[in-house]
Amino acid sequence: MLKTTLAGLRAHKLRLLLTSLAITLGVGFIAGTFVLTDTIEAGFSRKFAAAADKIDVAVLPGKKDEPIVPRDLLEKIRAVEGVADAQGVVRGSAPLIGKDGKAVGDYPTAAVSIPRGRLNRTEITSGTAPAKPAEAVLDANTAKTRGFAIGDTITVLDSENAKHEFTLVGLFDVGIDQELAYYGAVGFTVETATEMTGEKGFQEIDVAAAEGVSAETLRGSVAAAVGSAAEVKTGKSHAADLAKANGADTKILTLGLLLFGFVAMFVAALVIYNTFNILVAQRTREMALLRCIGATRKQVFGSVVLESAVVGLLSSVLGLLTGLGLGAGALALLGRTGLEVPTDGVALAPRTIAVGMVLGVVVTVVAALLPARAATRVAPIAALRSQVEEHTFRTGVLRMVFAGLFLAAGAGVTAFAVATGPGEASLFMSMAGGAVTFLGVLILGPVMVKPLSAVAGWVPRRLFGVPGKLAVDNSRRNPKRSATTTVALTVGVTLMTLISVLTSTMRTTYGAKLDEQFPVDYMVQVQGDEGSFPRALAEDLRTRPELASVVALRRTDAKAGAQGAEFEVGTFTPAAGFSPEATTGSFGDLKAGTVAVGDEAAKALGVKVGDALPLTTTEGGEVRLTVVALFPQANALIPEVTVPHGDFDRYFGALDDGAIFANVKDGVAEENARKAVEAAAQPYPTAMVISSTELRGEFDEALDMMLMIITGLLGLAVLISLLGIANTLSLSVHERTRESALLRALGLTRPQLRRMLSVEALVLGVIGALVGVVLGTVFGWAATNTMTTGVIFQLPVVQVVAFVALSGLAGVVAAVLPARRAARASIVDSLATG
Amino acid sequence: MTITGEVGAWNARGNSAPAVVARGLTKVYGQGDAAVHALRGVDIAFATGAFTAIMGPSGSGKSTLMHCLAGLDTVTGGQVHIGDVELTGLNDKQLTLLRRERIGFIFQAFNLLPTLTAEQNIRLPLEISGRQADQVLFDRVVETVGLRDRLAHRPTELSGGQQQRVAVARALISKPQVIFADEPTGNLDSRSGAEVLSFLRTSVRELGQTIVMVTHDPVAAAYADRVVFLRDGLLVDELVQPTPQSVLDTLMKLEA
Repeated sequence: MLKTTLAGLRAHKLRLLLTSLAITLGVGFIAGTFVLTDTIEAGFSRKFAAAADKIDVAVLPGKKDEPIVPRDLLEKIRAVEGVADAQGVVRGSAPLIGKDGKAVGDYPTAAVSIPRGRLNRTEITSGTAPAKPAEAVLDANTAKTRGFAIGDTITVLDSENAKHEFTLVGLFDVGIDQELAYYGAVGFTVETATEMTGEKGFQEIDVAAAEGVSAETLRGSVAAAVGSAAEVKTGKSHAADLAKANGADTKILTLGLLLFGFVAMFVAALVIYNTFNILVAQRTREMALLRCIGATRKQVFGSVVLESAVVGLLSSVLGLLTGLGLGAGALALLGRTGLEVPTDGVALAPRTIAVGMVLGVVVTVVAALLPARAATRVAPIAALRSQVEEHTFRTGVLRMVFAGLFLAAGAGVTAFAVATGPGEASLFMSMAGGAVTFLGVLILGPVMVKPLSAVAGWVPRRLFGVPGKLAVDNSRRNPKRSATTTVALTVGVTLMTLISVLTSTMRTTYGAKLDEQFPVDYMVQVQGDEGSFPRALAEDLRTRPELASVVALRRTDAKAGAQGAEFEVGTFTPAAGFSPEATTGSFGDLKAGTVAVGDEAAKALGVKVGDALPLTTTEGGEVRLTVVALFPQANALIPEVTVPHGDFDRYFGALDDGAIFANVKDGVAEENARKAVEAAAQPYPTAMVISSTELRGEFDEALDMMLMIITGLLGLAVLISLLGIANTLSLSVHERTRESALLRALGLTRPQLRRMLSVEALVLGVIGALVGVVLGTVFGWAATNTMTTGVIFQLPVVQVVAFVALSGLAGVVAAVLPARRAARASIVDSLATG
Repeated sequence: MTITGEVGAWNARGNSAPAVVARGLTKVYGQGDAAVHALRGVDIAFATGAFTAIMGPSGSGKSTLMHCLAGLDTVTGGQVHIGDVELTGLNDKQLTLLRRERIGFIFQAFNLLPTLTAEQNIRLPLEISGRQADQVLFDRVVETVGLRDRLAHRPTELSGGQQQRVAVARALISKPQVIFADEPTGNLDSRSGAEVLSFLRTSVRELGQTIVMVTHDPVAAAYADRVVFLRDGLLVDELVQPTPQSVLDTLMKLEA
């Protein structure tokens, strides 16, 4: 039997290839995920280890609530015997002023200390390290994008927003430090860095051992000297800890990518199941012949399972190689986008090989089990029948009962989740409902093919004449096969629709919330939204004729409530047209001695309108306030605990403004208004002007980016399902060789025959997409309703229509090769087969 | 018995030009040592309005001859005319259109599209060429083959004989210049076979249809007006107004 199976496989190399491609892609994606993340992890570990080589002992913050190492420890450590050198590492922020006089970037530039000697871990790529207080270095990327060169004078703000000038003496490479790469970095001597950042201590103290002192010994003596004030580790174990923390980050990436890999494998399983079903159906006579010459049912079953195992094995090996390529490709792509990823070249870890092989073989064999069982049912007498039987499909009672049960359960669970309201449990429940419903659709598939093909085929039937009509008939000829073929596509389309429904709903909801709660045209904010600017800025803005109203926001942290937990307490200066909405109570009642509280803070504080709220103030001692309003906190502009602005000054003194909202007067051109706001903000380098349209644009961009990435990853599942369509079609073409020849004899031209198959694929594609779009929309709706309150459901009509159209088109593309083969076949030869 | 293969030697009833003419037809499969000469120079004419049977032992080239005459297969040498059109030299599209307009087919088996009803199968050639069926002709054809009450059935719901009758009706409906039948009764029991053959003869007598039929069954051949015999790719004999016995005798003679 083994020989027969292997000979059969060898005889059909092409068929084998098509079948295995689905598994190859699935395994390839999963293996690629591992290759990518393994490589990243290994690269980072190596870099950490390399950096750790320079340090013998690292002194780290010891207490959780005070994440710095006290400054006085440095001298203590330097005095320890066996210490050759000890340097404090300062890290904070120091906004770099660009050539336009404003702080660069959305966030303040990071400031780091660059020590001299062997403890310097930063790599100066050109120029020298700062040696004097008036010298500084910039990271190479920031220097390039902001147009600074060695020798230039750069201006940097200190923690008090005072300007300081430095001579740029060198450029450095941030290496694997993602934080520095993101914010941009300016480096000073240790002393200057401390002055500029205003940091009260060190992020870490690096210690170098004297000649002949081991790191472990040094660790002991340093630990003894610092006591419990800080944590002391050897450089090696510190590097290992850093690598471990980094590994936790890559683990999330791995999990996320694997999720898409599993979707792809599920689709591949459907494709394999379908392919083996067709193969068994086509080889009915072969199987029967085997039975005639004495093969047992078990042997027939074994031969099909063995065939699937061989296919699974080969495609898994190919998949692993594909994964290696995918991983390398992804790394190259990451490198090109400027993300610094250290690599030592890609490699397949034993774990990757094991997971890939096991998954590939198991999925293939399991998918082939049912078809193999069908093969055992072939009666020996079938060998003698000449004509292939037409597959008839009758809707069984059992199928309807099961489909009904699954659909009812899925709909019930989802409805319950939606009725329960937003929350994590509801969201998971609605997604579980979606999965169960999908199973129901899977069972019901063959029943739905006929009516759906009537819908999907309505236009082609009328547009493409005889080939069109024949194609639509063919598409529902074998409902089971069509259903499985299309369901594979449905999986991808469902998820894509779901994601686009989510994003478009989020977009609309966010937009509406923005309109409702952010009824301002411009916002002036401190870079990074931390800090403040003088009240003079708001005063200046109020004098500008282009603006209708200006609201200033002031904030601080203070203890509130019976437990005395810290909350953000603040106020806003009233202005015409700015009135936050209250869910209960009213902002009209916000007078002296009262307070408005956000809904989430109110829940934490356990207060409602009319209750008293104790608040600890810096200037007014402990005060008791009456709650007069609660407001929705999500996306709210005002602080969670908001008091009248007169009260705020009395409680906390005349603090600077944290943010300013400005509305443009009617009829003033957008650009004029922008100029006015920017002119007012110009004297304050860290004051960033943001327009609501920009804000919305940024949000849209982020959403679009997410949509694009997820759609791209789901594209793999769609690609596999297209392979399934191509496979089904080519096997159908094979099955209908004589029929095609008959049509050609009767006068169907080659282009017409090709068109017939294209239209069939088109109809299959559209059926799959239609089901997917409906499921995706319904469960997208359910998901948005279980995620947050007050969502405004938005169906992305253009995208949904595009999904259906593209699926049809993709089907046509999948049909190209099978159709060519069918059209090329010689009529005489084809008539003779069978 | 006249000189076999001479063009125009047998012009039935002398009423018009022949429907199909082949001159010096050769067909070689493969190359070099493996070359198989299926047809070695066949000259033949099929009269309009006549029922001709092509006979010969297995491997004599009778099916190849039919495929070449019908434009289903390309020829290695010689010429084929259907009416006034020369087939040799036409490209695939022209051949397809020619088949569509001028030729009807009846095959041994697998004649019908399983997805279509009997009526849709009958009308299929007209639909493909975008022509309207002549309702009078349709009714007459359907009556002739006795399928009136089976029109809405699909092929799987029809017996083998009924399926072949649908195929006959389909071949007749487009009023082709010639119908090629390849062992049309090969898969049928004798009664159904006799029925189908009578329909074919009736269509020649009453509708003036030209039919060329390949068969190996002397009884079937006896329904024809004329039988031509092939052996080893050459036309070797022919009979006019054959009987099963005369056909059998000629075959025995050829086998000897």
